[in-house]
Amino acid sequence: MQTPLTTTVPVLRLPRGPDGLSRGFAPDGRRAPLKPVVPEIPESKESRESQEQRARATLRERYLRSLLAMVGRQVSFTLHEGVHVTAHFGATDLDVANFYVSQLQTPIGVQAEALLRCSDIISYTFKP
Amino acid sequence: MAMRQTPLTCSGHTRPVVDLAFSGITPYGYFLISACKDGKPMLRQGDTGDWIGTFLGHKGAVWGATLNKDATKAATAAADFTAKVWDAVSGDELMTLAHKHIVKTVDFTQDSNYLLTGGQDKLLRIYDLNKPEADPKEISGHTSGIKKALWCSEDKQILSADDKTVRLWDHATMTEVKSLNFNMSVSSMEYIPEGEILVITYGRSIAFHSAVSLDPIKSFEAPATINSASLHPEKEFLVAGGEDFKLYKYDYNSGEELESYKGHFGPIHCVRFSPDGELYASGSEDGTLRLWQTVVGKTYGLWKCVLPEEDSGELAKPKISFPETAEEELEEIASENSDSIYSSTPEVKA
Repeated sequence: MQTPLTTTVPVLRLPRGPDGLSRGFAPDGRRAPLKPVVPEIPESKESRESQEQRARATLRERYLRSLLAMVGRQVSFTLHEGVHVTAHFGATDLDVANFYVSQLQTPIGVQAEALLRCSDIISYTFKP
Repeated sequence: MAMRQTPLTCSGHTRPVVDLAFSGITPYGYFLISACKDGKPMLRQGDTGDWIGTFLGHKGAVWGATLNKDATKAATAAADFTAKVWDAVSGDELMTLAHKHIVKTVDFTQDSNYLLTGGQDKLLRIYDLNKPEADPKEISGHTSGIKKALWCSEDKQILSADDKTVRLWDHATMTEVKSLNFNMSVSSMEYIPEGEILVITYGRSIAFHSAVSLDPIKSFEAPATINSASLHPEKEFLVAGGEDFKLYKYDYNSGEELESYKGHFGPIHCVRFSPDGELYASGSEDGTLRLWQTVVGKTYGLWKCVLPEEDSGELAKPKISFPETAEEELEEIASENSDSIYSSTPEVKA
């Protein structure tokens, strides 16, 4: 894979735009303390934990769905030592420790079927 | 290895963006307000460009918008013959100030107690925001519509620009102190309190004057008609944009053109540096705002520095300090676990 002469600065994500539903200014927004302070109810500590739990569950579900979306698609993997390979994604095991792929394009040829160890993968990307 | 600038496009407006302003640096970061011909000015988080809210209420194109220093209040000037003051935390309209013609410019004093307005009726108006029912003080003298009016010298003086003149007024006596005449239409004016510098653009020129005496300091010529320019807080750089859709970056001391950036699909109407100088925002006829890094490749806001030899081996830590929405909580948690970062192509819009 050729390295371009200049690379563009990577971004974490794009700026969020209007939600198209409301005028914004979320009531529990980042500057809530400037508004009249509502005394904190004792349950708030617990709800924070369950909020985090819910957030983690949502993230996990999103990740699993992303794996489902990948099935059959061409995925590019970035491995250690600057190695990049592409393959068709097949499946993952229960612990997401290995990826089963086919048509793995390696610098030394194409592997019809292969198991990629997830610990060897730094990142992967695909277009849905 | 040279890094190519990745501008961040903030979409949401449906018509040209004609004015933008940053707040000061607040405990919650800094904020950005954009004025748009669609009549719906928007508030955004300054370092990421994330939309926070839209100020709804104007019935015409919004020509000018500003935030007070601590970003608790916003003010807008519109073609519906009103200027409005808003609560920038809740988005609620606080005051509507009726004028006799299109209002083009608004500016808060440092203490947010007074609002200066100017527009097509050629009058400068000073409103006491603690007494909104009282009549404003009026300063007359301009012979054409006022395009920009700014407080200066610790709010003791007022700078105002119409089509061909820039005038300096004393606040206490409400009289004209000095004026500058131009052969070409003045397109923009910016005031830098530290150093009392006034940045004026007209034709292809970007001129710097003393805000106290209006004496010229220096000026640069750009390759195209410039609509707006902004000086970096540390006065190392200046950025300018105009009719050729490009942004130009100059070394302020030498006048050398350092960079030019393409990206907008229409003329650039306004450019402003952020209060910390780390980025600058441009608003265009194409309806978008774009955020540009001052130091390309530095980790800041949504931009992530990647060293050439590293292959994304480091954890991506999004710069999000205030999780309040579910989305942001998710991202904060995600950042603990994620190893991946991705590049976006420069032209992708949100």
